[in-house]
Amino acid sequence: MAEKKKMSVAEILAAARAAKAGGGAIPTDAPPPNEPAALPPAAQPASEAAEPPKPAKPAAPKPSAPGGRPSVAEIMAQARAKKAAESGNEAVAPAAQPVAEAKPAVAKAVASKPTAAKPAAKTPAASAQRDTASILAAARSGTKPGPVSKADAPVRPSLPKAPALTKTAAPAAAKVAGAAADKSAPSLPPKPVRTAAKKGTADTEDRRGFLEMTLGSFMALGFTALSMTGGLWTLGLARFMFPNVLAEPPSRFKVGFREGFPAGKVETKFVAQFGVWVVNSDVGGLQQIYALKTVCTHLGCTPNWLEAEQKFKCPCHGSGFYKDGVNFEGPAPRPLERYSIRLADDGQLEVDKSRTFHEELGQWADPDSFIMV
Amino acid sequence: MHSNGLFLKDVAGFLGGYYTALAVMNAVAAYILWRRKHQTGWAIVWTAFASALMVLASLAMSGSAAWVPALPQAVRSLVNTLSGPVNYTAGTTALLLILFVFRKFFVQPMVAWTVLNGALVLMGLSMADENFASIVMKPDNVPIVGLVFLLAFFTWVATKQAVVNDERIAQGLPPMEKVNDEKVLVWPDLVYTELICMVGVTAFLLVWAILLQAPLEEPASSVKTPNPSKAPWYFLGLQEMLVYFDPWYAGVALPSMVIFGLMALPYLDFNKKGNGYYSIAERKFSYLTFQFGFLELWITLIILGTFLRGPNWNFFGPFEYWSPYKVEVLNNVDLPQMFWVNLLNRPLPRVAADAPWYAHVGTILLRESPGLLIMAAYMLLLPPLLAVTAFRNYFAKMGFIRYMVMINLMLLMLTLPLKMVLRWTLNLKYLISIPEFSLNF
Repeated sequence: MAEKKKMSVAEILAAARAAKAGGGAIPTDAPPPNEPAALPPAAQPASEAAEPPKPAKPAAPKPSAPGGRPSVAEIMAQARAKKAAESGNEAVAPAAQPVAEAKPAVAKAVASKPTAAKPAAKTPAASAQRDTASILAAARSGTKPGPVSKADAPVRPSLPKAPALTKTAAPAAAKVAGAAADKSAPSLPPKPVRTAAKKGTADTEDRRGFLEMTLGSFMALGFTALSMTGGLWTLGLARFMFPNVLAEPPSRFKVGFREGFPAGKVETKFVAQFGVWVVNSDVGGLQQIYALKTVCTHLGCTPNWLEAEQKFKCPCHGSGFYKDGVNFEGPAPRPLERYSIRLADDGQLEVDKSRTFHEELGQWADPDSFIMV
Repeated sequence: MHSNGLFLKDVAGFLGGYYTALAVMNAVAAYILWRRKHQTGWAIVWTAFASALMVLASLAMSGSAAWVPALPQAVRSLVNTLSGPVNYTAGTTALLLILFVFRKFFVQPMVAWTVLNGALVLMGLSMADENFASIVMKPDNVPIVGLVFLLAFFTWVATKQAVVNDERIAQGLPPMEKVNDEKVLVWPDLVYTELICMVGVTAFLLVWAILLQAPLEEPASSVKTPNPSKAPWYFLGLQEMLVYFDPWYAGVALPSMVIFGLMALPYLDFNKKGNGYYSIAERKFSYLTFQFGFLELWITLIILGTFLRGPNWNFFGPFEYWSPYKVEVLNNVDLPQMFWVNLLNRPLPRVAADAPWYAHVGTILLRESPGLLIMAAYMLLLPPLLAVTAFRNYFAKMGFIRYMVMINLMLLMLTLPLKMVLRWTLNLKYLISIPEFSLNF
């Protein structure tokens, strides 16, 4: 895993710059103990911060570039040189030195933006900051810097853990040193980063904690205000459910005197306005006047009253209903519904559409659903 | 019946153009056969046919209503008498079956051309009937007529390729799709084709929009339902299903099952053959199931709902006047009624209105027990029964879950034709009828 790493162009350039600036190089490769992969990027910042150049070891990054992108011939040459020089591991220990010296500068940078190190640490195409941190960590931990090249990486016993640490150890180490790094080592790569970052802020808890608490309160305040406003708005909208003026026919209306409904007649003149048939018919041996709802019980179309055939017939799917509203053909599953009807004080019939009566529920026996003639 | 000279004069001009167009179509076909395919015999046949069509065209445009070519009245009456939901469904099923069984015959181009011409001429002759013309030429229905022909054409093309491939596979050759997989460049070939099609379709739509007025109607009213009241054409199959089922089933459950089933197809299909090429012989079960569900249970129902359902959703023959006063006996009976009243000669189980709820539920369950038992047997006993008999192979290859999904989808699909047959033969309305909970099946 760690050995894969191809160098990005940016890394190559960084290395090149470092090599040029320092006339050679920095222990660039002095990453935290087990950070072989992060090596190359470390070069630049380290070289800037740490003055003492190491001519002996030129821009190191190369070794880890597997045949890499030899865009800069110079780098390749240096890398080759370094590889050769390093095969014996001997240059590694001294490499740590400059890094340690770089500490003060880097430490400042890290302290000023502790979190900045985190995102950088996540991306393999590491930025300068990440590498600064890692170098710092390496310096603090006082351990020997990590493998400087791929060649010696396998030698290190901790290598198997290297990938995880590569990403995680840097920021953590910046603060706490090797112990923390060791601790976080076994866990999965992404997680420790976060904990490490938190620890970074915890450092400043005495001051920022207060700020955060206050900020948290502000947030709470803001959201409370927002939700309250939203709730009030919703309530305000609910007001529209009850308009001041309702432009629809009343649900209670008078249809005239019972003399207007001779036996056997289906009165269809209220259909257009009120959606009701007033029928005077024989239901189970009793002559009744009742109001039928003009809604087919199948899918809600409006059936037509066919005088010649003495039935209600729905145009949608052909459901048929007898004069008393009972379904007898087509797909309608149940009889038409009745509206409430009563004899008003002035002797007229009054239909109340707010109540319906279902035959299948036995509600047609309800005296409110008909008027005896 | 309602045909008269006035109508015939109106339609005569259209028919003249119609027959002329058919004649031109046949003349072009004859020319292509003669020059390109070198089938002089067929070229002569179609030239002669084109001449006959020109005679029809001149008769139609003669100016005399009596000369407009039309089907004899006796034939129209006979067709009207014979048509009905039962005959229609049985007839279309038989027709599709014949087309399928003799597909090797029908996929021959000359046979197909003959059938197409026959259908077009028959339509022209029928169009001289006012009732037929008023339905077919309704602006709503014109595209559906076109779609019927289009669907027939595409089905024919696919069948033809499948037949060719089946023959090649039988001879041990690879299917045609594997042989000539010529590649075509996107630019310019495809893009130009698309551009030309775009221009052509736009021009066609413009002409169409100018010639055929949009069918606007009076403002909608909640208390006035148009008669007949029809769904959009693509839902007319559903509307036809609603004649046989409760809305929750025909309008919600069954369409959902259709969509779910189509999505499940790739997971149910264990047949690796027929992948990337047309074939019927290698996928007989899949092909037949799909075509039955699509052509018979969807397309023919759409045609039925569009052209043959009139006012009050009554069935009307193709040459029949759409009278809103047509009386059709639709006295259907629920299964509980049949079982308890007609068979056992006792009243339906009832319970007092003030009885506790469990008494109500128990009574309902008792009342509906025949239907519930039938449905339980259908949905619970048939799958394992089929697994060890007709579908033994499928069960072995598909495994329990896939088999159960497949067989249940199939059984649900078959509820529609089964219910139709029960309705026609037994006047059965619902197997299970629980209006108390709006639950009917």
